[in-house]
Amino acid sequence: MLQYSIRRLLYIIPVLLGVCFIVFVLYNFVADDPAITLLGKHATVKQAAELRKELGLDKSYFLQYVDIVRSAFTFDFGRSWSSQQKISEILSNKAGASLSLTIPAFIISMILGISLSLIVSFFRGKAIDNSIRVICIGMMSISYLVYIIIFQYFFAFEWGLFEISGYESGFPAFIPYVALPILITVVTSLGPDIRFFRTIMLDEIYQDYVRTARAKGLSERVILFKHVLRNALVPIITYIVIQLPFLILGALLLESFFDIPGLGGELLRAINSNDFPVIKAFTIMSAIAYMLFSLLTDILYALADPRIKLQ
Amino acid sequence: MKNLLFILVLSIFSCTKNNSTSSAAGAEGAQKVLNLVVTADVKGFDPNQASDLYAGNEVARVYEGLLQFHYLKRPYQLEPNLADGMPTVGDGGLSYTFKLKKGVMFHDDVCFPNGKGRELVAEDIAYSIKRMGDPKEQSKGWWLIEGKIAGLDDWRKNGNSDYSKEISGIKVIDKHTIKFTLSRPFPQFLYAFAMPFTYAVAKEAVTKYGKEFVNHPIGTGPFITGKYNQGNQIVYTRNPNYRTVTYPSEGESGDSAKGFLKSAGQKLPLVDKIVVKIMKEEQTRWLNFLKGNLDAMGIPTEQFTNVMVPGKGLSDKFQKMGVMERKSVGLDVTYNAFNHEHELFKDNVKLRQAMSLAQDRDMLNKKFYQGVSIPAQSITPPNIAGHINGFVGEYQNLNIEKAKAKLAEAGYPEGKGLPEITLHYTYNTKSRQIAEVFQQNMSKIGVKIKPVGVTWPELMKVVNTKQSMMFSMAWGADYPDAENFLQLLYSKNSAPGANGSNFSNPEYDAMFVKASMMEDSPERTALYEKMYKFVSDKVPWILGFHRVGYGLSHGWFKNYKFTEFNHGVAKYYDIDNSAKNELKTKL
Amino acid sequence: MEKEYSLWADAFRRLAKNKIALISLVIVVIYAIIAILVSLGLLAGNWAEEVGPENVAPTAEYLLGTDFLGRDVLRKVIYGTQVAMTVGFFSCVIAIPIGVTLGAVAGYFGGFVDEIIVWFYTTFASIPYLMMLISISYVMERGLKSMCIALGVTSWVGLCRLVRGEVIKHRNRDYVQAVTSLGGGHAKKLFQHILPNIFHLVIINASLRFQSAIKSEVILSYLGLGVQGTPSWGKMIDDAKQDLMQGQWWQLAGATLAMFFIVLALNILGDALRDALDPKLKGQES
Repeated sequence: MLQYSIRRLLYIIPVLLGVCFIVFVLYNFVADDPAITLLGKHATVKQAAELRKELGLDKSYFLQYVDIVRSAFTFDFGRSWSSQQKISEILSNKAGASLSLTIPAFIISMILGISLSLIVSFFRGKAIDNSIRVICIGMMSISYLVYIIIFQYFFAFEWGLFEISGYESGFPAFIPYVALPILITVVTSLGPDIRFFRTIMLDEIYQDYVRTARAKGLSERVILFKHVLRNALVPIITYIVIQLPFLILGALLLESFFDIPGLGGELLRAINSNDFPVIKAFTIMSAIAYMLFSLLTDILYALADPRIKLQ
Repeated sequence: MKNLLFILVLSIFSCTKNNSTSSAAGAEGAQKVLNLVVTADVKGFDPNQASDLYAGNEVARVYEGLLQFHYLKRPYQLEPNLADGMPTVGDGGLSYTFKLKKGVMFHDDVCFPNGKGRELVAEDIAYSIKRMGDPKEQSKGWWLIEGKIAGLDDWRKNGNSDYSKEISGIKVIDKHTIKFTLSRPFPQFLYAFAMPFTYAVAKEAVTKYGKEFVNHPIGTGPFITGKYNQGNQIVYTRNPNYRTVTYPSEGESGDSAKGFLKSAGQKLPLVDKIVVKIMKEEQTRWLNFLKGNLDAMGIPTEQFTNVMVPGKGLSDKFQKMGVMERKSVGLDVTYNAFNHEHELFKDNVKLRQAMSLAQDRDMLNKKFYQGVSIPAQSITPPNIAGHINGFVGEYQNLNIEKAKAKLAEAGYPEGKGLPEITLHYTYNTKSRQIAEVFQQNMSKIGVKIKPVGVTWPELMKVVNTKQSMMFSMAWGADYPDAENFLQLLYSKNSAPGANGSNFSNPEYDAMFVKASMMEDSPERTALYEKMYKFVSDKVPWILGFHRVGYGLSHGWFKNYKFTEFNHGVAKYYDIDNSAKNELKTKL
Repeated sequence: MEKEYSLWADAFRRLAKNKIALISLVIVVIYAIIAILVSLGLLAGNWAEEVGPENVAPTAEYLLGTDFLGRDVLRKVIYGTQVAMTVGFFSCVIAIPIGVTLGAVAGYFGGFVDEIIVWFYTTFASIPYLMMLISISYVMERGLKSMCIALGVTSWVGLCRLVRGEVIKHRNRDYVQAVTSLGGGHAKKLFQHILPNIFHLVIINASLRFQSAIKSEVILSYLGLGVQGTPSWGKMIDDAKQDLMQGQWWQLAGATLAMFFIVLALNILGDALRDALDPKLKGQES
């Protein structure tokens, strides 16, 4: 177990090198002349060349790659090109707003999703199951953007139930601002969540051990909660944990529509202004988060189900 | 343009919504608090980096320059700020000698001995200008003085950022006198000293804070703020040691009637505290304005018909609230440029004229600018010398028949043989729709347009590498001189310079070079006007608009006069607390 | 071979019994025909025409009203069908061969090849999807082509993982061992025997990929990375932000409904295909 975890941790290194390489490629093709963008409307060729030198863009490709790798392993991402601010400060300033939206939204939709899918599994094949399935598919067939537009229009404007947009930091000041975005996230993720959980639970329900339990005369409710849910826990945990790193990235569209000063908006700004150090920091941090959480998934997997042997 | 969303229905509900972004406006008692809003993140407080409007405005509350624009007089006019009187000009316009005001103190900060701010001296001005030229600093304002101050370019190249080295063009004569010598005549030089890039910084602060200087504003200005921490508001307090500066006692005609002279002679700044809130969404700002949490803001596009009655001014509802409107005529021009190095447009003036004739500016004005912007007849905007009032361009007004005829003359009857023309523009919903209107207008004479929306860096890339066929852009004045606009078509400024359209015409270049050496005079104005007509005829771009907007302010907000150059004007603003208490009850 | 034959025949019979799935199939075919007609210039080629006054609500003459330039919204919706179907189709055409090939090769050969491919897709997957998408759109000229490629090359990882896992399972099954003993080469084993047995997974994946690409088009259009110069559902929804507050709902409604039916049809079809094709799930829907 320990040995496996260490091996997996070490595996992050080659993957991180790969991520750095992709970042490097983007850096040289996507952000090909940041100097002129940064200098704005009065840019001259001469000053662009100077600025490129100042930013270290005149170094050889190899050294540029080494620089990226170094920042990936030291977490020192330097300063934003456009605002000269420390990137670590930008990230810590903006993370709060993003998390205040994504974490509650995620928890609520998971709890709702699991409970509803238990109900659906209990009544599998019955009218309630079928209608919830139809509603789920229907809800999944509408664009995310349409939900945002319609919800903001009706709930916030027509009926005045929520703040239209804006943000204030600090609990509980942010609650009125994130309530509607949370609702939208929950509504849009319920469809896929319920479908996924239902499949998982039905998979378990048709296993032999359930048949045995039923033959032993256990009630359907006991089977569902005691056996099915416990065994379905493994894929459910996987599903949950693997989504966690994405919470940090925030919700780009929601942040932009509701004026929430989070990381999603910052990423969009960085992309739109060629602020490469910020893009680099985002990519590398989220790659690390992704890998750590996949490792965590595997470990949890093993803990939840002793049948699984980690090799 | 996400912020244009749903504003129409907003005012109806604004009164029922609870006030959760309330400021402490009423709580300070007799304190005068100004509540302003900024619509984008403020990048920081380094004058050297203050290239965008937002950073520039904040920098100018704390820092000051040698000169400033007179707050009330129009046309825009320079007056001394840190300088004690306007400089003496010598050597045939090549040297400028500034006397400094005595007793101007820097804000208190730990970077100074004993934490007490010291007096500003000529050395500080020299240091601040050198710093603009320091390659390590990469000032965004370097273009302003590049190639102009004798010896500075050489120092930038070979000086190794050694500030102790002598520069022939920057001479400190005594503690309060500094002399600049130019390497070539540049009549617009003085404008540089009214721009935030040149504002005076203290060497001690730059040295102490290093890279973090951007977050430690320490100037001589009327307001003080602590360390900048990129939050969603910035709070300033009055500088208790501010020298005696008084509100101007004369302005342009009509200022007296509008009440802009009531504060004449009073000691500045007039308010005790400024709270600048960062609100990026238009509807957030609008709500807060309606609740009185903000003293002023621009009218949201979608609210326009609610707020303004065409031809009459403010609607009854807003008049009852005591709200005032002010018109802002921007010193800018929007345009769809041709790339003159592209085979299609090079020397094909008739094609350009045909396309310009087919552009329906009135329709664009109505749809996107509430019909109040000014369709540009040429490049120079109104209110500066070189703009001809009432001039009607031959090719700047819709005439489909004439457009078709010109197109045929150009060799493409009904657009036959003309390839599809790509138009690059910076993407957002509104500019996409404007590009779609252009596409539709051109299709009426058979010209096919393909609008391509890109990000600003990408637009810069296609323009700078001359890969674009056409692109949409806007230019805002750096200083109130037609030269700042006319240089956009000077061939030496071709991409990646400011002349992204790569327009190149020897006749135009000759006029430009001549005008750029001339001091302000009737002859120069005549030459500017000749160039104005030349541009109108040659159609180097399909011209758009000189944009006009409307701003709103609450009745308690005094001395809120529109100025294109609003650096440092917060010191003139005033708040009438008794009016505020009364008017707020009506909101 | 007989096994596969019965699997597909059986699947088809199950599918034919499912009326909703059949209707969905018909809807997909209709959308595809519309898209082809638009591509050939036989339908909605005149979308840019000013047909009447601007911002007219739906009437008998303009079934879905007109937009801010007096263009017929119905024609724009129809034109948008072509964009959506193209994006869906080509992103599958790009993603599926990449995913299947890499997954099959990794799973079949294992060892070092497997290590490299797993490393490759782990690297790929750990970069945020949207960032990849935006970056690719940057490198290429904006438009339909770059959108298809961007969606294609960013969406193969899931399928690759799935195929790899299945191939590993099948590799040691008896029927493959039998082919080995009969002297079959790698290519024969992989392409003639293993792949047909997991092909149903690819079909199911394709139907889901298709609909998610259609939905992604909207987001990309909002970000300004969509088609240029021609209408699309995403651009119409983007316009709706402003339309709606002026009481103009028809552009939003038109694009949303058009999208709703095709995405719904693809979702149902995907489900039905899984029920019909996935032997593991047989007998569950009682």
